[in-house]
Amino acid sequence: MYKSEKHTIFYVLGLYLSSTLLLIVTLFTSYYFYKQEQLIHSEKESLKSYTLELEDRLSNIHNNFNDTFKYPRSQKYKSAIFDIDKNLIFSTLDTEIEISKEEFFFYNSNSYYTSPLKPYYLGAAYIVIEKKTQAVNILNEILIQAIIIIIITIITSFFLVKLVLKPIRDNLRLLDNFIRDTTHELNTPITTILANIETIDKNNCDEKSIKKLQRIKIASMSISNLYQDLVYLLLNHQVSSQNDKLNLSEIVTQRVEYFTQMAQVKKVDILLEANPNVSFYADKLKIERLIDNLLSNAIKYTNISTTINIKLTKESLSIRDEGKGMSEDEIDKIFKRYLRFDTTQGGFGIGYNIIKTIIDEYSIHINIKSKIDKGTEVILSW
Amino acid sequence: MVRSLLIIILWISTLNASSFEENCLTCHSNDFKFKMMMKKYTLRYSSENRIKESLFEYLKHPTKETSVLPLGYITRFGLKKKTSLDDETLRNMVDIYYEEFNIKSKIY
Repeated sequence: MYKSEKHTIFYVLGLYLSSTLLLIVTLFTSYYFYKQEQLIHSEKESLKSYTLELEDRLSNIHNNFNDTFKYPRSQKYKSAIFDIDKNLIFSTLDTEIEISKEEFFFYNSNSYYTSPLKPYYLGAAYIVIEKKTQAVNILNEILIQAIIIIIITIITSFFLVKLVLKPIRDNLRLLDNFIRDTTHELNTPITTILANIETIDKNNCDEKSIKKLQRIKIASMSISNLYQDLVYLLLNHQVSSQNDKLNLSEIVTQRVEYFTQMAQVKKVDILLEANPNVSFYADKLKIERLIDNLLSNAIKYTNISTTINIKLTKESLSIRDEGKGMSEDEIDKIFKRYLRFDTTQGGFGIGYNIIKTIIDEYSIHINIKSKIDKGTEVILSW
Repeated sequence: MVRSLLIIILWISTLNASSFEENCLTCHSNDFKFKMMMKKYTLRYSSENRIKESLFEYLKHPTKETSVLPLGYITRFGLKKKTSLDDETLRNMVDIYYEEFNIKSKIY
């Protein structure tokens, strides 16, 4: 799976999930409030029905001929009666309650219902009924349902994204295969050209032919370089790093020598100032790709008849050209793949992308100092 | 000192009780009727203050409208005569009546 594809899947998943979550939260909140409302309604109804029963019982007690009056009691409900001036007459309640304006209310995990009464049996003008509130214990139930829905949503959205991305994936794979095959086919002819140029006896050639051969060699080296970059990009995610202790001074010197001929075409001098004992623990091929890309960029973008200064110390490598330079904005965007600021020069715009992946892998810090029309200096430090 | 104070209080209460007997029970000797009246007053006026106030008003100015008794009863036996007691004594009598017969203290 491509990195960009993973990103897309995550973005779509994120979007899909957040919208679904929002919907679920809204639905379940409404459901919760609906349940609560239902509970309040049922509580109220049950309290109301007991109020009627109590009223009836109070009436019977009031009308009997006994000297004393036994207040009606219930296991489920507790009650109190108040006179017209809201003074307590009799109570079986657990807590002291005052007559409020609210007909129904919750207090201390009890629900209360107040009802006026007339005629005033036993003097009662108000009845207050108390009942232990049934807890709205639907949160757990809701949570389990929500988790199940979220899991289903994740699975379906994953398949949905895959389904949507399939045609794009197929096209990308096709393109990838094409590039891979083409790259592979490039290798043999380039190697052949370079090997044959080396074997040509230059003594039998006139100066003009030697110059032409030189140009062919440089062009082939450029293609070879591009080939190496493409191979690196195509195989990067498939091959693990073969890290080793490298003599960086040696590698830099070799790569500078390799690019000297190419630089000579533009009459560019390469000045190398290298500390001979710099070592670095990394994959040789990757470090070569890194240095090659930095050097080829410097040669590509420096002006004709200028000097490229390379300085290698124990902790840094700097490559400074005297080219047209870059603006701040361009430096910010430099690591984007296939992005090229100067279309007059050849290339695919993959160089800095390769540089970025390698420096990230080895935690190398990059600092690009550039001034328009003065040149660019790239400093790698570790 | 305390002892003499207690004796005075007891004497006053017996005096009150005896005045209630004299002012009320001479005619309303029937305990049952007194209880029924209290029930009717409680049923209509609910609180202690309102019961006492309405009873006081009724005894001072008895009317058909303010009576708690059924109309048939009044038609048959007539309306009660206006009290001859002064306001203070009447209030005392009403208090004793309420104290003695109120429903609130008999609920258990």
